[in-house]
Amino acid sequence: MIKCPFCQTPHVDGTLFCSECGTYLLEDDQRGTDPLGTSEIGWVGAPMDDPDTADGYRGTGPLAIRFSIGDHKRVVEIPLNKAIHLGRLDPASDVFPEIDLTNDGGLEKGVSRRHARVLKREGIVVVEDLGSINGTFVNGKRLAPYLPETLNSGDTLQIGRLLIDIELRA
Amino acid sequence: MVSHATIHATDNEQACYVMLEISPSKNLPTSRLPLNLCLVLDKSTSMQGIRLQQVKEATRQIIDYLQPEDTLSLVVFSDKAEVLFPGQKNVDKALAKSVASTIQPSGGTEMLQGLLAGLNEIQSNRTDMSVNHIILLTDGRTYGDDDECIKQAEWAGLNQISFSTMGIGADWNEDLLEKMADASGGTSTYIDSPRRIVESFKATVRELSTIVAREVSLALDLAPNVALHEAFQIAPHIRRLEINANNTIALGPLGTNNRKIIVIELRVTHATRGKLKLLQLHVSGDVPTQSAGASAEWQDVSVNVTDEADGEVVIPPVIITALGKLAIYKMQEKAMEDMEAGNVIAATQRLETMATRLLNLGETELARAALLEAGRLARTGSLSSEGRKKIRYGTRNLSILPKEL
Repeated sequence: MIKCPFCQTPHVDGTLFCSECGTYLLEDDQRGTDPLGTSEIGWVGAPMDDPDTADGYRGTGPLAIRFSIGDHKRVVEIPLNKAIHLGRLDPASDVFPEIDLTNDGGLEKGVSRRHARVLKREGIVVVEDLGSINGTFVNGKRLAPYLPETLNSGDTLQIGRLLIDIELRA
Repeated sequence: MVSHATIHATDNEQACYVMLEISPSKNLPTSRLPLNLCLVLDKSTSMQGIRLQQVKEATRQIIDYLQPEDTLSLVVFSDKAEVLFPGQKNVDKALAKSVASTIQPSGGTEMLQGLLAGLNEIQSNRTDMSVNHIILLTDGRTYGDDDECIKQAEWAGLNQISFSTMGIGADWNEDLLEKMADASGGTSTYIDSPRRIVESFKATVRELSTIVAREVSLALDLAPNVALHEAFQIAPHIRRLEINANNTIALGPLGTNNRKIIVIELRVTHATRGKLKLLQLHVSGDVPTQSAGASAEWQDVSVNVTDEADGEVVIPPVIITALGKLAIYKMQEKAMEDMEAGNVIAATQRLETMATRLLNLGETELARAALLEAGRLARTGSLSSEGRKKIRYGTRNLSILPKEL
């Protein structure tokens, strides 16, 4: 028996698509985008006066953040040169988060399309809830919407009911 | 083509998919079979205006398209049916057109009456060689005679008569029209704008004139440890295939431009090492131009069974693409089932997930329709009649596959 990673429905071995939610069931699904290491991500543009930009890439503090998302610990590492939005991709309403949680069971676990953002402010990494429906939590504590809260290595960030481990990279 | 060329030796149940294409042999004579066509048209009051006007135009164009050996009959229905133009060969085109232009809207929609009159025309004009077909067009719901309509369609399917059922606007019953088309081996079409009536009629008649086999059936001879889970037609459009006794599947008529692609999902139990024959496929068709009448082909499908963790499994991309689209179609089916069962939350979630999958495939418009209906469902607890049709017929037609099989 195999289990759908998205909705946990059990299926007979060799099944290719989940009959409940349409998820492709082969573990090495190569149709998604592979996470790139930080060394591979070039710096595109210089969004220094972007309001989303906090200290900029050269500022003090950690240079990148690593998210380990959900039960499967999907690892995504992103440089902290601008705000990182977490949510569910929805081109129809023009929502393109840097971290799309759709395939991590986002919908089921109550992730809003525009859920939260992570950015660096004066060398300190903070997370801010963007008025999500099901809330953003740091180590179990619910954040007030739009009030940034400090994030440290080893913290557990909770988006709706989806758990993400945080590691900051100097 | 098999999804897993190699499967593991295990006692557990495993899934395996077989995909096959059925197309007419190049050796078949290409002569066109004579058509025995009947148009069964809804002339109820709601057809008034542009709808009826376009129907008349479409009818005129079909009349022009006919060959001397073709037979045409014309039936209109509202509260009762009327044979406007009894079936005849060598159709007097001018006369037929003038009769078609006299159709006046009136009354309600009673489909069964029209259908019976149409079948009667078809039966009295059929020959051993003819392709027998009814084009049924309606814009409304018929009351109380749904079951009888489906029974007639099943009977027609057994007697080499296929239906094209077409619905205009938002008020007709897609379940009924789809069931009727499937039962008879034909297709149903959703016409979202009256301007597409002419196009749909012409496409149907063009399709009919390429038919070489009136009825194709697929029989599966399964190995003892293999069971048939389900079967779908992928092309020309997605539909669930009814599996009859002895594992035979009726596929309807086969034309030169409509190759059929079928996916069969199997369950294998107790696979032991070595070569395992999964099944034997038998395809047979009723080909009027061949002296024997019927023509048949068969093929074995086998896989290798190896020990666990032996090499990696490579699944042909065509199968993945096809099954991915099929998965969306099935979600649509399930969403409708959830809704029928009154489970609005589950149906909403399914539609939303379906929209995500559609976006991944680049089907933006259909995804938007699904999201819109999901929103409507969450607020009002029901779908719009139009959105329901859009989703149903949209997911069905996801199946256009690359020609790499």
